[in-house]
Amino acid sequence: MNARRNAVVFGLGLATALLAGWLAFPRALYTRQNQPLAFLHKTHAGKSGYAECGQCHALREDGTFGGIPSLDTCTSCHSERMGTSADEAVLVDAYVKTGQEVPWLIYSRQPANVWFSHAIHVRRANLACTECHSTYGESDQVRIYEKNRISGYSRDIWGHSISRIHFSGRHDGMKMNDCEDCHRRHQVQVGCLGCHQ
Amino acid sequence: MKITRRDLLVWSAGATAGLVFTPVPYKLLGDLSIWTQNFPWIPQPAHGPVDVKESSCTLCPNGCGMRVRMAAGWPVGVAGARTNPVSRGALCPLGFAAHQLNWHPLRLRTVRHRGQASSWEEARTAFSKACAEGPIVIIDGYPGRAASQHFENFVQKQHGVYRVVLGAESRALTPYEKWSGVPAAALGYDLENARTIVSFGAPLLDGWSTPGRFTRLWAERAAGMAEPQLRLIQIEPSLSRTAARAWQWLAIRSGGQAAFAAGIARVMLEEHLVRASGPMPALTLAESAQQSGISPDAIRDLARMIVAQSPAVAIADDDDPAIAALNVVLGAVGTSGGIVQRTKRAKSYLSAEPVIPSARAVLIDSTVPWDFVPQTDAEVFRFGAWEGGPNKADWLLPAPGFMEELTDIPTAPTSAVETYAVAPRLVKAPPEVQSAVQFLGQADPDLMPVDKIIHTRCENLFRARTGTLCAQQTTPVATIPSVEKLEEQLRNGAVWMGEPQHPGGVRCKLSDWPQATRSECPPCDSLASWRAPVLPPLASKLYQESSLREESDRRNA
Amino acid sequence: MSTRYGMVIDLDRCTGCGACMIACAAENNVPSLPQATARTGLTPMLVRRVSNGMEGQARREVFVPILCMHCEHETPCVSVCPQQAVELDKGTGIVMQMPQRCLGCRYCMTACPYHARYFNWWDPAWPKGMEKSLNPGVAVRMRGVVEKCNLCHARLHSAEEKAAAAGKREIDPADYVPACVEACPTAAIQFGNLADKDDPVSRAANSSDAFRFLERIGTEPKVYYKSGETWVKALKESVSGVEVKRG
Repeated sequence: MNARRNAVVFGLGLATALLAGWLAFPRALYTRQNQPLAFLHKTHAGKSGYAECGQCHALREDGTFGGIPSLDTCTSCHSERMGTSADEAVLVDAYVKTGQEVPWLIYSRQPANVWFSHAIHVRRANLACTECHSTYGESDQVRIYEKNRISGYSRDIWGHSISRIHFSGRHDGMKMNDCEDCHRRHQVQVGCLGCHQ
Repeated sequence: MKITRRDLLVWSAGATAGLVFTPVPYKLLGDLSIWTQNFPWIPQPAHGPVDVKESSCTLCPNGCGMRVRMAAGWPVGVAGARTNPVSRGALCPLGFAAHQLNWHPLRLRTVRHRGQASSWEEARTAFSKACAEGPIVIIDGYPGRAASQHFENFVQKQHGVYRVVLGAESRALTPYEKWSGVPAAALGYDLENARTIVSFGAPLLDGWSTPGRFTRLWAERAAGMAEPQLRLIQIEPSLSRTAARAWQWLAIRSGGQAAFAAGIARVMLEEHLVRASGPMPALTLAESAQQSGISPDAIRDLARMIVAQSPAVAIADDDDPAIAALNVVLGAVGTSGGIVQRTKRAKSYLSAEPVIPSARAVLIDSTVPWDFVPQTDAEVFRFGAWEGGPNKADWLLPAPGFMEELTDIPTAPTSAVETYAVAPRLVKAPPEVQSAVQFLGQADPDLMPVDKIIHTRCENLFRARTGTLCAQQTTPVATIPSVEKLEEQLRNGAVWMGEPQHPGGVRCKLSDWPQATRSECPPCDSLASWRAPVLPPLASKLYQESSLREESDRRNA
Repeated sequence: MSTRYGMVIDLDRCTGCGACMIACAAENNVPSLPQATARTGLTPMLVRRVSNGMEGQARREVFVPILCMHCEHETPCVSVCPQQAVELDKGTGIVMQMPQRCLGCRYCMTACPYHARYFNWWDPAWPKGMEKSLNPGVAVRMRGVVEKCNLCHARLHSAEEKAAAAGKREIDPADYVPACVEACPTAAIQFGNLADKDDPVSRAANSSDAFRFLERIGTEPKVYYKSGETWVKALKESVSGVEVKRG
């Protein structure tokens, strides 16, 4: 009956919802998983002379994208332990010696009905890798893999920002809208099956 | 301050109002809808590098060239190989779904002894015991392979017997073997030089011989042409697929083939249309007309037309000697456009009976049709990759399926030139599977394995220096530098093609018109050469999900 | 030069073998369900057996492969779809069906004059392990959506990717061959660019023996048929003539 009390309580409810929705919800929605081992791009780029992304993340002859390199690429140097890091030990013992492929968690995995051609975007459109994959290739840390508990996709797809408002101006998110925005900017029109399969 | 129920309600109202201004309801709705797109029971294709392998199909003795697309190590698509000189890029309809056969629900995966689960150990023991006690019979459904050679080597050492179950196309050539002494396996039809083909029920456009060979030839020389370079005359009671597209279809009475062939031969001899002077059929023209249901005038017209548009050849769908006799009268044996001998080195597979009575054990290879039942009391060891239904076998032994073992591809039964190809192992076989060759190899480890037999054959080809190797380019064998290079190309899908032989040389001695020995046969309207006891699941598109083919055509499966 | 992919199907050459039907189903991850019938089955390429209605020696039959005709003008399915799940691609002329966008109202199935659209009555299922043989270039659909021929778009994708990797702007036509075209043992189905006057398919489509089904309704289908026989040409006034149904 006390109008002021009601307003306060209402306001508390409002505040709780806003806090929960903006802070707690994004944390709860995503799981946090570690990669099977900590692969550091900077180490490999620096020491081993792998300066170009395409040296490991290669386009095959038929134009398909190799994606995350298979164990063959790693074993060209890491057939035995080369250094002292614990992660390399995991690589050699658990994967190279057993011949099992490393089960990397893929940040940018798209749904099955999406067809994205790296060949067309990298060769024909001359897009730099950093356009969509930011500067991950230079990082000295391995990023945590966050997976949406409901949809099953990586957080990279929706984008880190839960509201999809990009304050930094940096490219964030790999949803269809993000593809459409870029296509609109560059005036490249494709039909539905140009990107779907 | 006491918290009342009203507080709770007001608080909830505030929270609800607040939620609307958070991402929660929208994100949850969106994510839920995405979740409904990804139900876990909907299978997803595997992703991986796509590789294309060239090989040949092994599901029937016609050995069509095949290109297999592999993704993540498994076959995901099959197409014909344009580089194969005989199949010319075509496959039978079932071939396009063959890559899924290995997961057919009726795939045999365990050894069974009289319905009970057993093991390879026990099977081997039983087989060794049988070998020691009496003669072994090995029955092969696809003769001429390296595996066939292995079987023959085994029975030779064991003083056993090697028998072959021939397909309809091979059987159709056996009358000529009986009359000329040239093995049926050395004979073929020189279709490329024929101007008229009289098919007595043979499904030339629908599952006869290597599909691409005749279909492409016919498409190029006859389809839709008012004056075709190749006339196809189809003689059969009902309008089959081949009959529907033939230049002429004659609806003879069921069982009247032999009489009809006799009638044509009689007209040719009486009117001196051919060089031959006999043998004259016993039936009069009126009898032939009555039994076949075709008028005497029509028979005369046809006989005259065949001779006018020669070279002509008659093709039977089985070993009806009357049709073979017609070819003899027509002069189509040992001549261009007719039945030709393509090699001097071939085996005879004619024998009095398929199983000898005193046999102690019968081993039936997986290439033998499932409905073949050996007339014997011996212990039957039946190899098969798929379960074909009830059978008399004591032992059911799971054999490799499609593309699961290295094998070679001898010449197709009706080909006019010799060919040779190798089909490598492209797919890992399930663990419990073993081929008849491996089984025998364990019983007798001294036998030359299939690998080596294939290598020996490559050596022979290399030394003979004849023929060409057909791949992306066609290379004469004489220019290939080494046996290793030849074998490597063959193992990567190249096909060796021999040189056409001079057609003359097959001479049939036939003094009397043959008696009708063939019983009435149901029409071969479908994929008659198919050997496996099951059809690929996608065959349902033809037999069940459309009216294109009748359920009754669906042999066994 | 614009691209308008189309086909010319020679009915004098089609032997009704069904290789195109199976090759299509294999390429497009179409399931074979035991409960499916001729009415409820999924056959994006369907060969119909048609007769001239006579019996005995006068009987004639022809086999007519029916697939999506990729109608160019006022495409019926496009105009009725409430979800915009189907679209006529301006770049290629292909009528593109997006099963993932479909809500399953089946209005398009009613609208299609050629009955070339099929509904997924059940979830797809394959025997255990057979999912390893699925084509990775085509997404698997679920129950409740309509699908049809997309002119083997996965193969167009591969051709485009190959061209892009080699630095070319145009695809090599030999790289883009739909499964049914590749499978046909008599080369009855020819595929090419109808907008290119030098393309043999374009020329065949303009020949006097070529016709299209239901031309009178004005959908401008891009799948042409040809035959030298008058009774076959007369079939064009109906969807595909009188279908033979055996008892």
